Amino acid sequence: MIEVRDLKIHYGDLVAVDQLCFSVKAGSIFGLIGPNGAGKTSAIKAIATLLEPTYGDIWVKEISALHQPEKARKLLGYMPDFPPVYEDLKIWEFCDLFAHAYGLVGEHRKASVLQSLHATGLKEQMNAPCRTLSRGMRQRALLAKTLVHDPAVLLLDEPAANLDPKSRIDLRNILKKLAGNGKTILLSSHVLSEIEDTCDTLGFMKAGKMALCGTIDEITRSNRQNCLLKIHLSRAVPNLLKVIDQISILSEFKETGTEGTRFRASMNGGEKEATEVLAQLVNAGLPVAGFICHRPSVEDLFLQIESQPTVEKQAE
Amino acid sequence: MNPLIIRGIRERLRIKNLIASGLLSLILCSTLYLAAFLDGMQTWVPAAVSSSGKDELLSIPLNGAREAFTVLLILQGFYLMFLGTGRVASGTAEEKESGLLDYQRMTPMSPLSKITGYLFGLPSREYLMFLITLPFLLHCMVVGEIPPLNLAQLYAVFFCSVLLYHLTAHVIGMVVARPRAASWVARLAVLGLYVFLPVLGQAGISFLSFLTIIPTYFGKILPHLLAEGTEKLGRFEGQAVAFWQEVPFFTIQVSPTMFTFAMQGMILLGLLFTAYRKWRLDSLPALSKPLGLGLFVILQFLLLGSLWPFFSLGEASGLLGHALQLDPAKTGLPNQLKHDAQPAIAMIVVQAIFFLLNLAAVLLLINVCCPNPHRRLKGIQRKEKLGIHRIPSLADESPGGIFAIILSLIVSLAFACLHFLAVSSEQVNSVSSSLNTVFLPSLLFLCTSLSLRAAREQWFNLGFWGYVGLLWLTPVLACLVLAVDDLLGNSQFMLYLSALSPLTFFPQLITYVSPSLLSEASQFANFSMPVSTGISSAILLALVLTIRLFSYQKT
Repeated sequence: MIEVRDLKIHYGDLVAVDQLCFSVKAGSIFGLIGPNGAGKTSAIKAIATLLEPTYGDIWVKEISALHQPEKARKLLGYMPDFPPVYEDLKIWEFCDLFAHAYGLVGEHRKASVLQSLHATGLKEQMNAPCRTLSRGMRQRALLAKTLVHDPAVLLLDEPAANLDPKSRIDLRNILKKLAGNGKTILLSSHVLSEIEDTCDTLGFMKAGKMALCGTIDEITRSNRQNCLLKIHLSRAVPNLLKVIDQISILSEFKETGTEGTRFRASMNGGEKEATEVLAQLVNAGLPVAGFICHRPSVEDLFLQIESQPTVEKQAE
Repeated sequence: MNPLIIRGIRERLRIKNLIASGLLSLILCSTLYLAAFLDGMQTWVPAAVSSSGKDELLSIPLNGAREAFTVLLILQGFYLMFLGTGRVASGTAEEKESGLLDYQRMTPMSPLSKITGYLFGLPSREYLMFLITLPFLLHCMVVGEIPPLNLAQLYAVFFCSVLLYHLTAHVIGMVVARPRAASWVARLAVLGLYVFLPVLGQAGISFLSFLTIIPTYFGKILPHLLAEGTEKLGRFEGQAVAFWQEVPFFTIQVSPTMFTFAMQGMILLGLLFTAYRKWRLDSLPALSKPLGLGLFVILQFLLLGSLWPFFSLGEASGLLGHALQLDPAKTGLPNQLKHDAQPAIAMIVVQAIFFLLNLAAVLLLINVCCPNPHRRLKGIQRKEKLGIHRIPSLADESPGGIFAIILSLIVSLAFACLHFLAVSSEQVNSVSSSLNTVFLPSLLFLCTSLSLRAAREQWFNLGFWGYVGLLWLTPVLACLVLAVDDLLGNSQFMLYLSALSPLTFFPQLITYVSPSLLSEASQFANFSMPVSTGISSAILLALVLTIRLFSYQKT
């Protein structure tokens, strides 16, 4: 549904996005993660046809967003990270303006406005002026406006940034429902736990480049070198270090308690390798009382990628 | 109805706003109108005309209505041209800054619909205030017996002007980043473009006068605003009415209303293209190179058409133009002044204005159409990525060398046309000086354009405008200081100094290549060396900046 190929965006000498490639399948929720200045907003704005890239290709449902922006825009619903609204309009008027601008008429327009307000939980407050809304409520109003013309693709830049926990859960449910209805959603966020729960595919951006991309399962499986093992023995064993030294995939073996019974180690491998380690420990006669294989979370991966040295972001 | 107009009405004309602005307009308008009406109605009738045989003060409603009409027109202009223009500019800039404009950019409405929506939606309150004044206008027309057809012409031009000002404000709002700045920049631009620039129309460049409603007001309405019993207008008004009855353009005479529509229509078209590009993509330059060239050709056509009567027949439009007519007998000035209104001075003034106006246009076009270093870098990256030999010459990212040369050639061609027209119609006596007269100003114009282009492409805004300020304005200001210090003592040094700035060097150069005036001017200073210095420094500057640009681009 969305195909980004070789995208490069300059701001003067600064390269904001560099050789970015990724694709988002129809009906999936793609999460773009990265530290501040990674180029997430620039990439989303370019897909939304609001920013002219230096070069590259962007396809939305086989329409080139660069060469046929007017056609592509009909398919897109865009929500920026900071939610501007028309202060002097009521919430329903704000949605109605865009429903009208997208060519909806008569009863269909009215129904679309009400539906989008209902979906975002704003039906009760539809007559409130936008200027009286809190930041979180503005975010909802903006989402309602984004949904009002029923776009096939949603581009959401930090949609959960100003929402309270309840609203975040609501948003997650809305997005999952929309994806279930066939909408393609590309969102960026700093709230990593939310992204992990909401998205089925992730892209880690760093210094304008895509550092890692794939489904959550693929990403966590491919990054198994930091799989964490927690080992609990029922009693202290004198030849423990000798046994551990023989297991080559283990590293950073450390005692976490004071009685010589609780340990932590990094393992280069996944669940299969963890089973083998457990077998080796038991076969070596160690009294294993507890064994936990902790796979890295999205947050762990994010921190790991962010801590890697960056390449100087200068124009070629 | 356009959703953006509905939005404007919902935002700015809710019941409270409607009542407040309606009442304000009603109170203001009725106060001003009644004050002017009552004042104008009281007419002193001399004894010779009076039925009672003595001076008496009569109440004549017709006179009151005619007096009040101009006040009403000014108030309407204040509502729509001042308040409305500021509102369109600040509203557009606020939405640009907040990102709301991006939402609108993404909707499938055509750019033209969006522009229409902004032009009529944002100033909806000002339109309401204007509507409140219409009953007073009707009263004026009926009681003052102002011909409806003339009034219709005036208001057609009035709305065309309002549209032009609002569109100018909309484009400025889209270009200027800060909303508060945009509101005032738009008002200043409207003042500059449509109030100060038309003053140049008084020096023979008639089309500039037709960017406002003034010619139609003077030509079509003022003769009908005479108070009863008054046989003719005052001297100034009479002259103004005479000037704006018909507009000389090439060899034909055009009605002022038609001419105003044509002028404003052309500018509207240029602004519409700019707004269209900005609506499509914010990062695009306001004008593409072909569009810039097209507008520049239109400008030359207008200049040629306006100056044609002056160079062929020695007749100029406008008040100053009238005073500077080549035939002193036609000036209508006192004898003492006739001597000063020498044909050569008139020729130099008009030629200098011609070049300075073109210089301003070229400065604007080069600033907009030539790529800054960032855009150029983008072009190079794209070229390399696509594997093409060079950036297409009409692309926004392509170097502006050819563009600057074409602009200069167009100016040279237009100037040569005017010069040879003057020679063939014997308005200029000497043919022998033609080569210098056409060649030297053209060379200076080319060098100035190339320098500007090189500055634009190697520096950002601060550097570019700093260059223009330093090289164009500083010598002029220094000359002013020297002139105050000693009017004649420093004249030779002042000539050298003024030769460094194109603003002052063009009049100097034109004086130098005009043999009839040079002989008189030479009594005060030697022109030859400063002119050689000015030409040499212009060539040197163009060369140095162009070479520096090439070396910058190679690295």
